[in-house]
Amino acid sequence: MDTCIQKIREIAFQLLDKKEVEKVIGFSNGTIPMATSPITIASKQDTEKLVFNSTCGLNLANYIRQQKGKIAVIAKGCDSRNIVTHIIENQVKRDQVYIIGVPCNGMINKSKIKSLFEDEIQKFEEDGDSLIIESSSKKEKLKKNDYLRENCRLCQHRNPVIYDVLAGDLVKEQIIDVPYPDVEKIAALEADARWIHFQDLTKNCIRCYACRNACPLCYCPTCFVDESGPQWVGKGQDKTDINTFHFLRAFHCAGRCTDCGACAEACPMDINVRDFTRKLNKDTFDMFGWEAGLDLTKRPPLDAYSPDDPNDFIK
Amino acid sequence: MKFITIDKKNWAKGIEKSRETYRLFGPVKDKNGVFIRTLEKDMLPDMTINDSIMSVKSVLFPQTEKILFTTLDEAKEDHHIMKRVEFDSSPRAVVGIRPYDAKAIELVKMNFDTDDYRDPYWCDAYEATTFVGVGINKPGPFDFSTSAGTGPFSESGLDVLMADLDNAYLAKILTGKGEAFMKSCGFEKNTDEKESQALFDILRKEAEKNISSHIDTGKLKGKTVLELHEAPFWDDIAFACINCGTCTFVCPTCWCFDIQDETKQKSAGRFRNWDTCMSPLFTKHATGHNPRDSKTQRVRQRFMHKLKYFPDKYDKGIMCVGCGRCVKSCPVNIDIREVCKIMNSYEKNN
Amino acid sequence: MGNLLEHMGIERDRIHFSWISSAEATKFVDVVKEISNKVRALGPNKKLVKDYN
Repeated sequence: MDTCIQKIREIAFQLLDKKEVEKVIGFSNGTIPMATSPITIASKQDTEKLVFNSTCGLNLANYIRQQKGKIAVIAKGCDSRNIVTHIIENQVKRDQVYIIGVPCNGMINKSKIKSLFEDEIQKFEEDGDSLIIESSSKKEKLKKNDYLRENCRLCQHRNPVIYDVLAGDLVKEQIIDVPYPDVEKIAALEADARWIHFQDLTKNCIRCYACRNACPLCYCPTCFVDESGPQWVGKGQDKTDINTFHFLRAFHCAGRCTDCGACAEACPMDINVRDFTRKLNKDTFDMFGWEAGLDLTKRPPLDAYSPDDPNDFIK
Repeated sequence: MKFITIDKKNWAKGIEKSRETYRLFGPVKDKNGVFIRTLEKDMLPDMTINDSIMSVKSVLFPQTEKILFTTLDEAKEDHHIMKRVEFDSSPRAVVGIRPYDAKAIELVKMNFDTDDYRDPYWCDAYEATTFVGVGINKPGPFDFSTSAGTGPFSESGLDVLMADLDNAYLAKILTGKGEAFMKSCGFEKNTDEKESQALFDILRKEAEKNISSHIDTGKLKGKTVLELHEAPFWDDIAFACINCGTCTFVCPTCWCFDIQDETKQKSAGRFRNWDTCMSPLFTKHATGHNPRDSKTQRVRQRFMHKLKYFPDKYDKGIMCVGCGRCVKSCPVNIDIREVCKIMNSYEKNN
Repeated sequence: MGNLLEHMGIERDRIHFSWISSAEATKFVDVVKEISNKVRALGPNKKLVKDYN
């Protein structure tokens, strides 16, 4: 990772030095352990602030819309797929973004690591494939691969699908035989048990909308939950309103979601909102052979008509 | 001042006994963390966790509260006349809250209970509630309460402050309300006042020494609102922000709300929901104009309110108790301690 | 959408999609009959219905 950080800084420095871009969007070190924060760098002296490690779980494609001039952005595999989606959906132009691709070995599941400790984590270090974590009462050395986020564990596109330069060597893609074990597990339940699963999933939701706001797909000028004339959904803590939000938000992402995991990463309540979106990802794959953000030349399945689209659901 | 010792063996029994008089609330572990919830029968407050994800404010100010209702049936004489939802004024007690949360209630009170206006929903709930706190022996790394006008053994806003002494709790009774609660539990074993206070002082000093995180707010007052408002750093601070409402919802001192009417057939209700200044809708006018249309404006508002407008208006310190919840929960790691540092040290170059 | 609702535990037979021209009155009647029979067989829906109190 460290050589990758050096490379990112060098590339960013060159780009700003030669005035090829106006700013570079990347990650900087956080103020607390296991945190990094998105940052925009406009002067070459500041490129030293750029970092990249296994805690960069947010999706930087979320920050590239509505920027003036040409920008550079650090992109993992999933970020790059969302950049492709942005380009297809006319949110940015290809020549407006300079993509610094970072082949990725997966991001860590912070809440899983936190749950190993009774007290607060005070120190987090990454050394190759191991993680060294300390609280005031104990120290743990963990294997990174045992603590990957679920979407990273099941990821089949770790390398950026589109880039102008790479900040590291391409990594070997994982071959996953069962890509949707979580969806299948829920699908195997009875209808009532599935309902209970989703009720339990969202029961602590505070409707902060961090999942929506961390998502690069959610760029509607006014989200349906914020619309007040007409008002589609109640704004309080009623469980039906909460589930309506999650259900409809997921549906708006159908055929567009790259399973980058930013929604679950951002959730202050550790709700795995991916349980909603993953079902749609599986369906679009099963029905249309589609995975979002892989090809600049193809329209998303719900955006295009083909005579052989599956239509069994219509009577 | 009266002090009581409570053998931990008697704790559960006492809490159970208090239910004859009180509805109880307290920290409860759930799958996603610790919350302040109603303690159902046989549930005990979790006294071991330093802080809960959500603060105690919801006991007085639920995230969604039905406040008024009416009928739309024009055949009824009182149709369309809003009436207050019946209020349960029976005594309630929050047990096991942390001192900074009690201090936060004091700050929120300045908004809901003023000489000019009195918010009946919040004030009635406040009057019905007894706050039983427990000091924090080992503050965590995000606790900066001592530099935010409170501390791990601060008494402000509490009716009882307890100290955890391994096998027992030592309780300092601070108000009549606190005394009544302890009596209802059957906890009445007095201890020597001088000795107990000395013990409290030792624990407080020890705990305060353990606080590693601090903020400096000394220079904020001397700066003008405009100086800070127009400072150049806000775009950089706000860049990472995704404008979710996490910081404001987990904050024990954020009090903003939104009013919503909902109807079904012939009945209508008026609800009060927490709102967040991070949302563009928060300030959107009916005309469509939005005075805080950009992310930077909204982020600036949050920090200016907490660290400048509030202290200027009330002269009671900042509107932050240093619990560190927003620091821990922010998805993009915007840290109020850093922002405070930037604001406090900002000098306008002329 | 039907799939996601079903995945969430809403019974499949509550969700129907159809394409009926204004000239297809009999098809409309048939589809509505079929839907109402299926929904009646399931009984009242309790899921994703707002309690109001």
